[in-house]
Amino acid sequence: MSPYLFIFLVLVTGTVSGQNLPRDADGKPDLQGIWRPVNRASFDLEDHVARHDMPAGISVIDGETIPYQPWAAEQKIQNFENRASMDPLNNCYLPGVPRIMAMESPFQIFQTTNHIAITFEWQQVYRLIYTNGSPPLYAGIESWMGNSRGHWEGDVLVVEVIDQNDKTWLDAAGNFHSNEIHVVERYRLIDKDTIEYEATIEDQNVFTRPWTIQLELQRQKHMNGILEYQCQAEKEEENGAFERDENTWYPALIPPNNEPFDPNAGQSIPLPTVTEEVSRLSDGTPNIGGYYMADAGGANYGLEEHEREILLPPSRGQVIDPIDGILPYQTWARSERIDRQLPHRGYDDPTAHCFVAGVPRSHYVPAPFFILQPPGYIVVLHERMSWRRIALNGEHSLPDTIRLWQGDSIGYWEEDTLIVESKNFNGKSWLNEVGDVVSHMQTVVETFTPVDENQIIYRATVSDPIPYTRPWTIEMPFNQEDEELLEVACLEDNADLQHLKDVQDEYRQNQNTE
Amino acid sequence: MISFFKTITLLLTFSLTSFTNNAFAHHAFAAEFDRDKPISFTGTVTEMKWANPHAWIYVDVENSNGEVINWALETRAANNLIRLGWRPADLPVGTILQIQGWQARNNTPTASLSAAMLPDGRSLFSNSPN
Repeated sequence: MSPYLFIFLVLVTGTVSGQNLPRDADGKPDLQGIWRPVNRASFDLEDHVARHDMPAGISVIDGETIPYQPWAAEQKIQNFENRASMDPLNNCYLPGVPRIMAMESPFQIFQTTNHIAITFEWQQVYRLIYTNGSPPLYAGIESWMGNSRGHWEGDVLVVEVIDQNDKTWLDAAGNFHSNEIHVVERYRLIDKDTIEYEATIEDQNVFTRPWTIQLELQRQKHMNGILEYQCQAEKEEENGAFERDENTWYPALIPPNNEPFDPNAGQSIPLPTVTEEVSRLSDGTPNIGGYYMADAGGANYGLEEHEREILLPPSRGQVIDPIDGILPYQTWARSERIDRQLPHRGYDDPTAHCFVAGVPRSHYVPAPFFILQPPGYIVVLHERMSWRRIALNGEHSLPDTIRLWQGDSIGYWEEDTLIVESKNFNGKSWLNEVGDVVSHMQTVVETFTPVDENQIIYRATVSDPIPYTRPWTIEMPFNQEDEELLEVACLEDNADLQHLKDVQDEYRQNQNTE
Repeated sequence: MISFFKTITLLLTFSLTSFTNNAFAHHAFAAEFDRDKPISFTGTVTEMKWANPHAWIYVDVENSNGEVINWALETRAANNLIRLGWRPADLPVGTILQIQGWQARNNTPTASLSAAMLPDGRSLFSNSPN
């Protein structure tokens, strides 16, 4: 399509349908929903014929080709020829902007007055776009996905993306940029199910002038939510670097020698007391949106109380039920927990591989998170890269066979406490670095009680009949701070893993020679 | 291993808790590093990688044979250092550091950094760069 015709159509259809667009409470076009690009741009932004790993496609560039500087045009050819090894996505790295917007998988947009979040399946990356007019708190700190600040120009959401590093590509064909890249995106809702997306790319180190791509994003009306694609975890499972745990991974069964699980054992603990009036959303629910850091008391180093040791931080113990603070393990699972703390098992902790921490661990790994309250959802963005989508007042929608690192979560407000119920876990997570055990049969009930303007008391009750004899509950405060999330691109330099592997390999070698 | 180094003058002279490196871990430190292999030496910074979940400082250290070994020292997450106010310019190449830590179990010149002191006596990556 000629760019002039394209722009003409956008203008005409935009004008005609603008009156009937879905709008949010602020009157802005409502972009919230699940979207997917309709194009072949993820393979190659330019015109391209079909190849074995690459269906043919028409250029999405205004002007047909990318205006490279001569040296950069040469570099692009090199990149293309070596794309199998050089494409950052083949190492499961984060895609950057705008490449992430053109990838094949659907993504979900959540919209509030001050922030727009976009969550993706790929490595559970997300974008947090500030639309509150605030300047970046950490300007100049480069990252894979950059820093996104947005504003509305009439009915168009305009997002500026700065501080991207030079490690990402623009597509799978080797089109590239430097760390001088500056991207301006425009999201224009042209009817309730279509977004015309534009991204203008400027990079004086690589191109001779700014240039623009145009994509059509279509609403995925049949989907309740997007799923997960933990690229690196899938890769390591396939090549044997991350080994199956038959005791916990789906679809492990309850061991025949287990003591019976008593789902009703345990205390009825009253919810925390609200000490001062909290701010509220227009519908009256407490406003819990913002940046939080758990006062986790060392939960990531053990949920049961222990003293500081060299190379192991202390834990104050987070278990409030059972009252003795001891997790109600089955005998075999207690043995497994003790074994996991031995040096040769350090390699088996999924977070050492940069995999997602699971629930509830994502909240108490030593990294902050950001809560958003768009209509119908609670969304949690974890700096140690992953997200959780909690559908409010809904029903679990996944079949039993679909298993996720973060599970399937639904929530509801009971007075001023948010209650979240999660299931459909994959059983691959550890609860912390010392290896507290959880399986795919875990169900988690979490309560988030805002007790004052700056603090949530968080509890998680885990019921898991594989490793435990009864449910148990942990508690910790989440403290709100005036801060911004940074990026943890954990795979970029995970040098630890080889050291941990060496320790495990040496142990196994010694076992074999004995 | 310890006697291998020339500059073993500091034997845990600064507090272990002054630098809670492992409080920002994404893996079990006791699995990767050996509490029975404390290291203590003076090194010259050759590079720092501001990475997450751990930043790495590389230092050249001369051993008793006069050989220069490049050690990799694991420290906190770059994000944690950034929030404390530290920036790449605050640790230029050539900086001399007095270092304490624990060596990796696989005996490579790799260590978990427990404490590092700048020539002026300031503690590296204490709460603020100043």
